[in-house]
Amino acid sequence: MMNRGRSLLLAVSVFSLLIAAIAGGADSQSTEEKQQAAPGAGNPNYPARNPFYFEGKIDYELLGIDEPSDAWEYMQRGIHRQDDLEDDQGAVADYRRSVELNDPGNGTCQIVESVGEGFATLDPPPCMFTVRLRLGYLLLHDDPEESIRLFEEVLEIDPLRLEVSLLIAEAYVVEAEEATDDISKKAAYQNALGALDDELALTPTVDDENLSPDRANNSHVHWLRAEIYEKSEMYPQAIEALQSYLAASRWHSDVLPWRIPLAEKKIAKLQQAVGAAEAVRAPVRARTRASRN
Amino acid sequence: MSGNASSIGSVAIAVLFIATAATAALAQTPTGNPERFTIKPQPYQRAEKCLPCHRRQYDELRSAVKAGYRSVSPLFNSLELAGNFVSGGLLRPVYGDSTRTNADGTPLNTNTASSQTFTHLSQVRSGFCISCHNPHLVLMGEDPNRREIPELAGVGTEFRPDEIRPLRDYHLVDVQGRQMLTPEIGGDPPPEAQPSLGAAAITCDVCHNAISQDLDRSPQRDGLANGSLELMPSLSKVGPFRFPAPVKGNFHVSSRDPERIAYIQSSNFCGSCHDVRVPGASLTHAETNLNPGSEDVTFYRLENLNTEWLTGPYASADNPFGKPIRCQDCHMSMFPYGGESTYEVGGKTITSPTPGVFATNFAAEPEGSTEYDYQLQKRPVANHYFTGVDVPIQSTEQMRARLGDDYPPVDEAGVDEHGVPKSLSQRREDLLKAAVRIDLDKTDATARPGESLMVRATAVALTGHRFPSGFSQERTAYLELTVKDDDGFLLYQSGYLVDKPHPETGEVEPDGSLDDEDLEHAQVIVDPGRKTDVYEPGTATNGHRNEVFALGPDNGPEARVFVGEPNGLVLWRNELTRIYLPGESLGRRGPDGEEFTASKPHFEETFSAAFANSVDNYRSLAPLRPTTYRYAVKLPSREELELLGVELKTPLHVHAQVNFLHFPPLFMRFLARTTGEQGPGGKDFHLVDEKLIDDFLVNVKAVAVADRTVELLDE
Repeated sequence: MMNRGRSLLLAVSVFSLLIAAIAGGADSQSTEEKQQAAPGAGNPNYPARNPFYFEGKIDYELLGIDEPSDAWEYMQRGIHRQDDLEDDQGAVADYRRSVELNDPGNGTCQIVESVGEGFATLDPPPCMFTVRLRLGYLLLHDDPEESIRLFEEVLEIDPLRLEVSLLIAEAYVVEAEEATDDISKKAAYQNALGALDDELALTPTVDDENLSPDRANNSHVHWLRAEIYEKSEMYPQAIEALQSYLAASRWHSDVLPWRIPLAEKKIAKLQQAVGAAEAVRAPVRARTRASRN
Repeated sequence: MSGNASSIGSVAIAVLFIATAATAALAQTPTGNPERFTIKPQPYQRAEKCLPCHRRQYDELRSAVKAGYRSVSPLFNSLELAGNFVSGGLLRPVYGDSTRTNADGTPLNTNTASSQTFTHLSQVRSGFCISCHNPHLVLMGEDPNRREIPELAGVGTEFRPDEIRPLRDYHLVDVQGRQMLTPEIGGDPPPEAQPSLGAAAITCDVCHNAISQDLDRSPQRDGLANGSLELMPSLSKVGPFRFPAPVKGNFHVSSRDPERIAYIQSSNFCGSCHDVRVPGASLTHAETNLNPGSEDVTFYRLENLNTEWLTGPYASADNPFGKPIRCQDCHMSMFPYGGESTYEVGGKTITSPTPGVFATNFAAEPEGSTEYDYQLQKRPVANHYFTGVDVPIQSTEQMRARLGDDYPPVDEAGVDEHGVPKSLSQRREDLLKAAVRIDLDKTDATARPGESLMVRATAVALTGHRFPSGFSQERTAYLELTVKDDDGFLLYQSGYLVDKPHPETGEVEPDGSLDDEDLEHAQVIVDPGRKTDVYEPGTATNGHRNEVFALGPDNGPEARVFVGEPNGLVLWRNELTRIYLPGESLGRRGPDGEEFTASKPHFEETFSAAFANSVDNYRSLAPLRPTTYRYAVKLPSREELELLGVELKTPLHVHAQVNFLHFPPLFMRFLARTTGEQGPGGKDFHLVDEKLIDDFLVNVKAVAVADRTVELLDE
């Protein structure tokens, strides 16, 4: 199909050159119009930006382009490289180029905050979130700080976008696990927990039994909370998070279903640990009270 | 000398080339529709008129959803009603005698079917749904005496959601053929009622009265979408034969117009309705009508089936069969019962049913159909089952009450004279099984506890369009995938369903069925709206927004597309999107009880075509393009296994299967509520309810299957 597309493109190019050579610029307006023609014009598989870019994945060959020429096309090729070719390095390079060409810092894109005059043809165009999410995800383990920066840019673009804060939390967890001192580790975990709270705030459960049986949701958020609390030896909080995980899984199960019985086992184990700690602390408290008296 | 000759020759060739190209360019310049010819008019006939000579075609068509069922379908009727609730009745047709006006004061007296060209969005909205589902009925409505669907008394702020009738209420007549209505709005038909002409929807006389594509009404002047064909009810019926036999008594004449014959045999003919472009003024991904004067008629692509075909491998010879494969070659042929072919796709050997195999038979009854008793020859004939992926979601008794006592059941026993199952549900299942193949060949060969196993599922669609197609934003094909150890311990699941309560439609306890459950990538309940004292168009009180929306544990669609995560549900359902603009409410509340309001543009999946302002039509599977989906399956660590008291036994078993879900249950539940007492009409229109969902939403599982074992390593 690519070959057919290229052949067609070649034929069209040759024909255009021939016509242009003979016509000799007889109609400068039409030449100008041609130059201003939108990329992909006439291709039903090349969605026009008006005003937003198409924030999805298109089967790359349907775009009919040989080399990307703008931020959106670089993003599409990056997606193709990442998903179809498993070429993560190539994808990172394309995503980086895409972000360079769609950067509020250099004026090549804007964070849309209002719908005013000229909205249909926003100039500069809106900043894209997909490329930042994908680049951030690929950098998550190698450069969590950069990931967090990219994910935070996504929240600048769309503060209500779901699971971005969860990704930020995952990046902080990577930072915590790579931290070489306790203070940095604790700070990273705290940041992760803060991000998870932000995520939960975006999708509260509906407290209406006529509408939904759910009394918790975001099971993956609660699972990660529990892991962080457990690693931070905050066992009562870990138990609460695991209970929330179980409540969220009640009507939705889990892609890793073994985590459901594991959560129950963990709760029992953590309760024992809390009980043991309480048992140790109780005599100490009694002695403290006695000494005060 | 030779050089000069060569130059002159080059110039001559160039001039010739330009002249040829210019001629070709002129030939391609749109020049409008051809002149209409005139022939003795004949009002649209019921299919029963054709039955005496075309019994086989009649019987086939009777068990197609295209004819009959579609017009009384609870889903179609409730969807059309829901669209009217939100638009203020604008989807109902106006006619030539209407006194209504557009916003600019110009008369609005043409509809989707009757407009010669479109200058206003309101013309496309008017009769939008029914102009493809029942185009001849809308055209006939120009004659007030033959009008089956009336113009609404009030639209916009004058619209009365409690007084509008479902379209199917109008498709009833008494024994004299006079229209009769259900006593109650949306109620059961009276026992003496019979089906009207409109009840049968697309029957013989619609297609065989087709003249040509209608470029002036086609949004991109390509003859596709929104009913952009010319119909002329006349004695001249067109079929596929260039040398048809003379018809007994000139009951009709058979057209010998080669262009007309070529049109009805082409995919473009089907594409006149099987691309659907939804009009909208505030779309965030709009396309513009290319017709002169139609620049303001912007739209987005809902059904994109014919464009998918046109830009795919089956519209050319660049496919395994070495020739274009048209719609008719799969949906009007013996397919998938006409033998099999084996071919290569992306290095894989595929065996699948052969398209384009037609039964040999008489096109009409051999005795008594022809003038002068001309002896008919057996020829390759098209069937009229039009099998697709839909089956009725109504009981046979309910359909017979509206469509006649002889309406066939969807599970009719036996095969026809060509050996094709009479059962629509069986044909649908067999068609789905011909549509897609999967394998797990690229999956990791080994795995270790505590690490990730990379499962790679490769899927390829064998369809002429993407898979699924048609109303692809609701039709749901997905991959169910499990990883188990050799003892059956479940390590991973995706594309799974969980039995749960649905209190919003009265299922207070899980009912033991999974067919009425949604996939777990998102938890969604769509707002049905509510009755208000004073009606206002729009979504504020008429529903369509997500009143519950959370991403679920199997979130693959969002994670895969936007984040690139190799995890979660592989869902080939296209996505209707609402891009909320700054200041717009999302329709649900936060923990503080305040409505979520977008401060910046916010993209969210919606389940309403009337509410979407953008669409992603690339979630579905492209034809003949093997696509690999990765699943990074995290296996439990040794410590976790110890705590669980489980010892994994090698090998691991990976199982993948493609399932097809008729419609998302959450979409059905929205329709049940918005056309029920909770909705803007404040009354039950008796279209969809939990019982119907439970009884008739039957999914087709395992249309393609793959298995693979993975060695589990100790260390």
